[in-house]
Amino acid sequence: MKSTCILIFLTAALGCLKAQQPVVPVTGSLSPLKPATDGKVWGALVYATNDIKGLTGSTEVVPADFADIPSRLGKVFPYQRFEILGQHLQDVFREYESWVVPTKDLFLKVDSKGPADGGGMNLHLQFWRDQQVLVKTDAVLKEGSPLFIGGPKWREGQLLFVLVLQKSR
Amino acid sequence: MKTPSEDHDLIRYLDGEMSDTERASFEVRMAADPMLNSEVNMMQRMSADLRTHLPAEMPVPYADFFNSQIQMRISQEESVTLPVSRSWWFDWLRIPTLATAAAAVAIGGFMIVQNHDQPASNSIVHSIYVPNPTVRARSFHSDEAQATVLILDGVEAMPSDRQMVSFHIKRTETDQEMATTTLFGESGQVVAVVVKDSRNQPCLLSANPRG
Repeated sequence: MKSTCILIFLTAALGCLKAQQPVVPVTGSLSPLKPATDGKVWGALVYATNDIKGLTGSTEVVPADFADIPSRLGKVFPYQRFEILGQHLQDVFREYESWVVPTKDLFLKVDSKGPADGGGMNLHLQFWRDQQVLVKTDAVLKEGSPLFIGGPKWREGQLLFVLVLQKSR
Repeated sequence: MKTPSEDHDLIRYLDGEMSDTERASFEVRMAADPMLNSEVNMMQRMSADLRTHLPAEMPVPYADFFNSQIQMRISQEESVTLPVSRSWWFDWLRIPTLATAAAAVAIGGFMIVQNHDQPASNSIVHSIYVPNPTVRARSFHSDEAQATVLILDGVEAMPSDRQMVSFHIKRTETDQEMATTTLFGESGQVVAVVVKDSRNQPCLLSANPRG
């Protein structure tokens, strides 16, 4: 049933790519099994610009837990406006890769390397642009200490990737 | 016998880092010193051979193992005092494993980041690998933003007319057998599926193709 569901979607998506027609999205859960996780991360792709007229009009809103992210970005990158283009809240799976995909264009592969000394997670990260990996990095991600990746320029500004370790609840 | 400063000049000459005046002066020295001239020619040939035989992009197999070996080698190198009377270029090349790794470092853009004196509460970037040799990566911690920053300089800009296909993903499910990850949106609908091709590269299939 699970495989059938995915196959149906893949077929539909491929058909959609070919025909450029929207498809009816599949809903519901594909698997009742919950794999082991090491934590949860929030990832976002941000368009940073000084050109207010050039904003995309995205309606994405920063979650309350990370509301200070735009102001923190402003302390590092020389831009005045930070527009969230897409966002993704993702479990970090213990035994296999996780994907943080706020946009189809720029996304992140995350492999857990286990808990870090003194809290946080050891991660192997790969930052992808379409089918091209831009950077691979081994990092420790700590609560309250986000990772900002300064990515490619776009329009009058720059695309930034934000990765935050969600606080343990 | 060359002095360390002559070694330094040789490296700067090979790397094209000399000014016109310095380069002209160095070439006068080369003309007067057949040994130096011979060494320069040999290093240029080796460099050209390396560029010819190594691909521009090389995936690092077993990256963690690779990283640990590099770090171990650096520790070993730091604990050894090399005689100054011999060109370090040749010492470097006499260690086959290190020579291979260092070539990958130079071409592949691998870098180990020093993280001395970082408070335990900070996120840390330990190592960076950039496949594209035209891209430079650097990392630092911003105390003001309380964030760790990884900057990629030289990445090709996104075309201005490219429309970003954005998602708001709430959860995912992974199917190990089919090597797929299904991404679900806010209303529980499937918005995209990540599949990997035969080269282990991700391919995103979404219900919202770029229009």
